[in-house]
Amino acid sequence: MYWVSVFTEAGIFAILALGLDMVWGWGGDFDLAFYGYLALGSYMTFVLTIGKPTPPVKYIIGWHLPVVVAMLVAVVVVVALAAVIGSIALRNLREIYFAVTTLGAVSALYVLVENYTPLFDGYNGVYGLINPGQTTLRLTYNGYRIVLLGVVLFILFLAYLLVQRLSRSPYGRMLRAVREDERAAAAYGRKVFLAKYRSYLFGAALAGLAGGLFAIFISAFNPSAWTPQELLVIYAAILVGGRGNPRGVIVGVFVVYVGLIELTRFLPSPASRPDFSPALRQVLIGLMIILVLKFRPAGIFRERPGRDEPSRPTRPLARPFRARVVAAASGATVLPGGRLGSESAGLPARARHDGAPDEGAAP
Amino acid sequence: MSTFLVSVGVGLATAAILALSAVAFTLEYAVSRIANFAHGEFLTIGAYAAYSGQNIFHQNVAAAALIAALAGMLAGLALNIGLIERFRGRSPISVFIATLGAAIIVQNVLVMIYGAANVSYTFAQGNLHHVGPFLWTTSDIEVIFSALAVAGLLYLLLQHTRFGKAIRAVAQDRTLAQVSGIPARGIVMRTWALAGAVSGFAGFILAETFGSFGPQLGFSFLLLTITATVAGGIGRPYATLGGALLVGLVIKIGGAYSSSAYELEYAFLLLVVLMLFRPNGVFVRRSATAVRA
Repeated sequence: MYWVSVFTEAGIFAILALGLDMVWGWGGDFDLAFYGYLALGSYMTFVLTIGKPTPPVKYIIGWHLPVVVAMLVAVVVVVALAAVIGSIALRNLREIYFAVTTLGAVSALYVLVENYTPLFDGYNGVYGLINPGQTTLRLTYNGYRIVLLGVVLFILFLAYLLVQRLSRSPYGRMLRAVREDERAAAAYGRKVFLAKYRSYLFGAALAGLAGGLFAIFISAFNPSAWTPQELLVIYAAILVGGRGNPRGVIVGVFVVYVGLIELTRFLPSPASRPDFSPALRQVLIGLMIILVLKFRPAGIFRERPGRDEPSRPTRPLARPFRARVVAAASGATVLPGGRLGSESAGLPARARHDGAPDEGAAP
Repeated sequence: MSTFLVSVGVGLATAAILALSAVAFTLEYAVSRIANFAHGEFLTIGAYAAYSGQNIFHQNVAAAALIAALAGMLAGLALNIGLIERFRGRSPISVFIATLGAAIIVQNVLVMIYGAANVSYTFAQGNLHHVGPFLWTTSDIEVIFSALAVAGLLYLLLQHTRFGKAIRAVAQDRTLAQVSGIPARGIVMRTWALAGAVSGFAGFILAETFGSFGPQLGFSFLLLTITATVAGGIGRPYATLGGALLVGLVIKIGGAYSSSAYELEYAFLLLVVLMLFRPNGVFVRRSATAVRA
């Protein structure tokens, strides 16, 4: 049962990481607000399913929706918030300015949720979503946990298929072209803001979905569950697995998450100092981020640009953009080179937002 | 009216601490062209050093301040030598993420040493004084004056010494400074030491003002620091001082009329407004370099 729980959590974080990788790995924008989207998705799932609050507990809404419907509504709310933050942060701000603005956004959200009790009951948080559907499905507690793991892995698989497909699509290539050289992409007629904005919203939707699953998984949620630092584990996982490579991202999450938990579980933790072992885990995460950035910035699985075969007919994913999407295929020439990395040597990668994939390509 | 004036007074005291932290942040940016996310940890290290030193020096303010500055200086040097210089030539965002990793390491090492709970660190705040329209404690006045003194010293250092001239040259163009015979590497290192010392001192007075602090002291102050820096103009020491004044006043006045718990919300609102309309800083000419990549 222990492993079921670990893998369920890792699966949920892998969904979050896939969403985050669309923003950071493909778009090149280092977003620190992302854990806020998971948190909001989680909170919304709670308040939509657990019914009216009993005083003195306070929170908004308090409906009794079926959990699946609630999760979908939660995703819509999360995307709405991301639409606001993204429209501010993505328009003109890049790199550090973008990171700082998103950090500001998540800090503001955090302070608001923590102090304004009528929203989600402040520091106490919300709770009471205990194994929804267990009685309907006539499952034992353990059986329910295993089914939940299956559901999470299935959703992760669906998300992976979708993201992988998007990644190989002309749209994914356009995003990468924008990342590599925004001005060149703009000069070729790509709408830089819209391209980034759309992937941002899609990524946030995945984060919201992960939040809903997280709500079911832990059945209680309060501000101590989502300090902005939590996001660093996800970034570390993406770095280790390989930025911009969906398969690498998933592997990275499982390796980092399961690996770290297992490694640090056997570390001595003095009973008088319960905060010792979690702190040591964080230190290891910090070290891992720095070491991977320094010595293997491309991660285990290097980013693979979609095969440059635009001749293969690709069904457009978003119909209204067909014209632009097809045109975007030509933008693929701006990409770093092929799998072996040798071709990339000749391609100038000017004005990189983050040269990680290129740097890894250097012998 | 009196709420307003009192909050302006408190705002000035906050702005003084913020100014020190932000000027140090901006100096780091000026010479290394990176936003140091481990900057807050310099403050935290300074505060903990002063806290650890109090057993030896028994509430001697000057000694505590000195220890804090010294510890901050060592931290600045260590980060520059151990991380920043090793990541030279990498994209700014990679270095930025690496400093974020360093920040997490420092925070949690401090948790391992001192525990995650806040430690109490109180100095006598002294009596309340009416200074003109404002209401300040003795320690508020000390904070403001020490910040002014440090700012004045920094001005003299930057404008009237060879070291200051070298810093400005490196900030403009490191390679050009190097070929002109300025030992750029050493200047950068000394600038980080200076920035670390100023931050360590800022951390000490921040901890003293709060009366208790934890390993997150500096990190939670970082957003304010960056807002102040960006408000003024990143990489420009004097503009940054103005930004600190602006941020300090906005959050304290806003907090006074709602609740002090929401101060960060005002900082964020200010940040958003600035990012939308004046991303290069309020005190920087419009024609200066664009933020857009």
